[in-house]
Amino acid sequence: MTRPATPTVDSPPPAPVRPPPAGPVRRRRRRHRVIVPLALAAVLLAGTVGAHALDQPDPTDPGFLSPVATDDDGGRRLADALRARGVTVDRETDLLPALLGLDRGPATLFVPAAELLHPDTLDTLGELPAGRRLVLVDPSRRVLESAGLPVVPTDRRWAARAVGPDTDGRPCPLPEASRAGVAAALLQRYAAAPGTAATLDRCYGDGLVRLPGRAEVVVIGASDPFRNDRIAEHGNETLGTGLLGVHGRVVWLDLDGPAPAPTVGRPDGTGEPAWSPAPGGSTGYGDGTGEQGPGGPGPATGGGDGRGDAPDSAGPPPPDDHPLLDAFPPWFWALLLQLALAALLTVLWRARRLGPPVTEPLPVEVRAAETALGRARLYQRARARGPAAEILRTAALGRLRGRLDLPATLAPAELAARVAGPAGGTPEQIHELLFGAAPGTDAELLELARSLDRLTRTVAAAPGRPTEGDPR
Amino acid sequence: MTWRAAVLLLVGVPTLAFWPDPVRGVAVMTGAVLLLTAVDWALAAPLHTITVDREGDRAVRLGRSATVTLRLTNTSGRTLRAQVRDGWVPSAGARPDVPPGRVSRVGPGGVLVLPNRLTPTRRGDRPAVTVTVRSLGPLGLALRQRAGRPATPGWTLRVLPRFDSRRHLPEKLSRLRVIDGTQVARGRGQGTEFDTLREYVVGDDVRSIDWRASARRADVLVRTWRPERDRRLVCVLDTGRTSAVRVRDEPRLDTAIDAALLLTALASRAGDRVDLLAADAQIRTTVTGGSQPALLHRLVNALAPLHPALVETDFDLIVAEILRRHRRRSLVVLLTALEAGALAEGLLPVLPRLAARHRVIVAAAHDPVLTALTTTPPVRTGDAYAAAAGWRALAERDRVRAALGRYGVTVVDAPADRLAPALADTYLRLKALGQL
Repeated sequence: MTRPATPTVDSPPPAPVRPPPAGPVRRRRRRHRVIVPLALAAVLLAGTVGAHALDQPDPTDPGFLSPVATDDDGGRRLADALRARGVTVDRETDLLPALLGLDRGPATLFVPAAELLHPDTLDTLGELPAGRRLVLVDPSRRVLESAGLPVVPTDRRWAARAVGPDTDGRPCPLPEASRAGVAAALLQRYAAAPGTAATLDRCYGDGLVRLPGRAEVVVIGASDPFRNDRIAEHGNETLGTGLLGVHGRVVWLDLDGPAPAPTVGRPDGTGEPAWSPAPGGSTGYGDGTGEQGPGGPGPATGGGDGRGDAPDSAGPPPPDDHPLLDAFPPWFWALLLQLALAALLTVLWRARRLGPPVTEPLPVEVRAAETALGRARLYQRARARGPAAEILRTAALGRLRGRLDLPATLAPAELAARVAGPAGGTPEQIHELLFGAAPGTDAELLELARSLDRLTRTVAAAPGRPTEGDPR
Repeated sequence: MTWRAAVLLLVGVPTLAFWPDPVRGVAVMTGAVLLLTAVDWALAAPLHTITVDREGDRAVRLGRSATVTLRLTNTSGRTLRAQVRDGWVPSAGARPDVPPGRVSRVGPGGVLVLPNRLTPTRRGDRPAVTVTVRSLGPLGLALRQRAGRPATPGWTLRVLPRFDSRRHLPEKLSRLRVIDGTQVARGRGQGTEFDTLREYVVGDDVRSIDWRASARRADVLVRTWRPERDRRLVCVLDTGRTSAVRVRDEPRLDTAIDAALLLTALASRAGDRVDLLAADAQIRTTVTGGSQPALLHRLVNALAPLHPALVETDFDLIVAEILRRHRRRSLVVLLTALEAGALAEGLLPVLPRLAARHRVIVAAAHDPVLTALTTTPPVRTGDAYAAAAGWRALAERDRVRAALGRYGVTVVDAPADRLAPALADTYLRLKALGQL
């Protein structure tokens, strides 16, 4: 290997660079044996996970279970089916009008994507007026806790499964579920929150639960019974329309994105309705009666707190006051600044080196027997077994002639006979070895090289002739 | 700016919680540290008042250690606190007695002595490159350092060839003395010169008795003989691409230099005049023989900076140079490699001109790897191919030998460690036979 003179830096004296030993091909193949199945498994796994993620509808998408969306994950077909059964569908795009709409009479509030509601408004879901029904699709633990519902999600399946309405062998208490029969409703199981005395009506192997109360709450883990692409399967349509159409009117909360923080009405009550859910009151919004005390009739105690908290936590923040600045005392920021300055000084100190690195041209370096080894590799790559065998035989003949003092003009047969004596083989074998056909495979060539080596060694070691001294 | 400034700032960090206005605290502390640093910088000894010089060894044999001392003189009125780095090339193997990071203090007018122990790893000239002086302030907060100030005193350590074959010299010299006429029994070959007559002692060859001289005197006199003196010897070193091949762990050129040194030492002792020529595509160095003791020293000095070049050797140029310089018959020793390509195309066409006037020896160290390829029993498939390639290289070498032999050239082909003695033996044999 010839390396031009290159500059080197101040380092230990350059050692001759040796190339890695030959034979990395087999090692690479052995590595492949491990890598290929693992990579295949990884690709399969990634593909499955990716396909599943693509297949699962995202509740935060705009148009997810929207009564006007005709996509696969829209709810247009469900809305049409409801209308066909004489059910009024009121589409609302904000929580406040939806709640106001509920006040007009018995109705079902359908919330397909409770995740999108602002956290401060979730508690209103748990305090609907009596005679209403709330249907939640796949609510998270956070939503359930914020809404004050004593339900927790337990284990979750990989995909929705079509099951009968029974749970643990007991029939489902919901008549609409019994009507629907088998439906794809089992994706997320729910159970009663520990430590609460609430009893749940459980259907579809815990995939659908009903929380009876003044306003009943139905929680279903799978969105399949409502989605355009799945509504035609099994009893999905019957289940979806049955769940929503029980009161003859559906208030369909269709949110396009995360809902903004609720605004508070002015105290004089002349402006917008105050965002203050009144417990138990049917007309508790924006009519100036927001002054009624927290001790008002109602099962929940969070109403007063909710109103009291609203101006503090949800007021518009001052524009020049970043919350992160207030989170730490000023000396903390000064400390960070000083640490940064100290780091800068350290950088300045480390950046000044004690003199530049010293370069030096390296000497030219050529490995020993480079051409011979390169030629050997060329022979091997070209599979030049014939020429290689020819060279080996000629060299062996030369050594034998010198050793046994044979004339160069000796015929092959006689030479074989003369060599066979000290070598200890039959003349035919020797003739075949020295003048035989060219080897056809690498193994034969190796065998030939070994035999020639053995032959010359045997002849060299054979006694009977005075051995010549060192030619020097 | 040193680490102390950063530490000073860090020390101030815990106090920040107690400042009424922490941001102002940061400003005050940073300003204080910067002010201290500036004062410290102003108090540091100025660099332009420092003078640097060196003393120590100029040459060292490869494998030995030399000491070169750096002397720093502080001519300013302030105390110098300095970190000094003496930058040598990596192959000089410099190990300073005082590590570069240590701070040395020198009083006003004082001298700082920094010895540097050098154990070079390669033959040739090993220069000192840069001296960097970093002058620290009395507080150790600030530093003065500037490239090229103080100016670096130049110094080059010449690393001489190892000359391992010196150990063969006494044996060869004793053989030379045997030839050299002290024992008259030897040396009656053709071309030997008559030296003196002396009285016969028991053991002398009776054929050496000079009867005519004995008749004139009462004693029996014998003639003493001595080999020719004042012959000319030209060593030619090939520094072309074939000399770059590493034989064992050194380039082939180093082996050739070793052999040339032994031959020169022997020949100059034998009273021959030795010239040397090193060339590849151009003449690298020439040494013409002088007085005996100085010659070897001059030769070693001339050979030390030689390095192989990756060019094809121009034998035409070499032969023309030899023919121009040496009109009398000389012994030309060509130290090169027996490589078919280089010699067949370069040397063989011009060899007749050279061989017609001079006696030529071609000496080459052969590759132990090649021998190993052809003598180890093959184990793997690759070994069989390698053996074939090795035998082919050997066959080419034999062809080159045969071609050289046709011109009456003596070929010395020996393993690297035996090349020098083998070449010396050839020389002694030619001398004994009077063929110079």
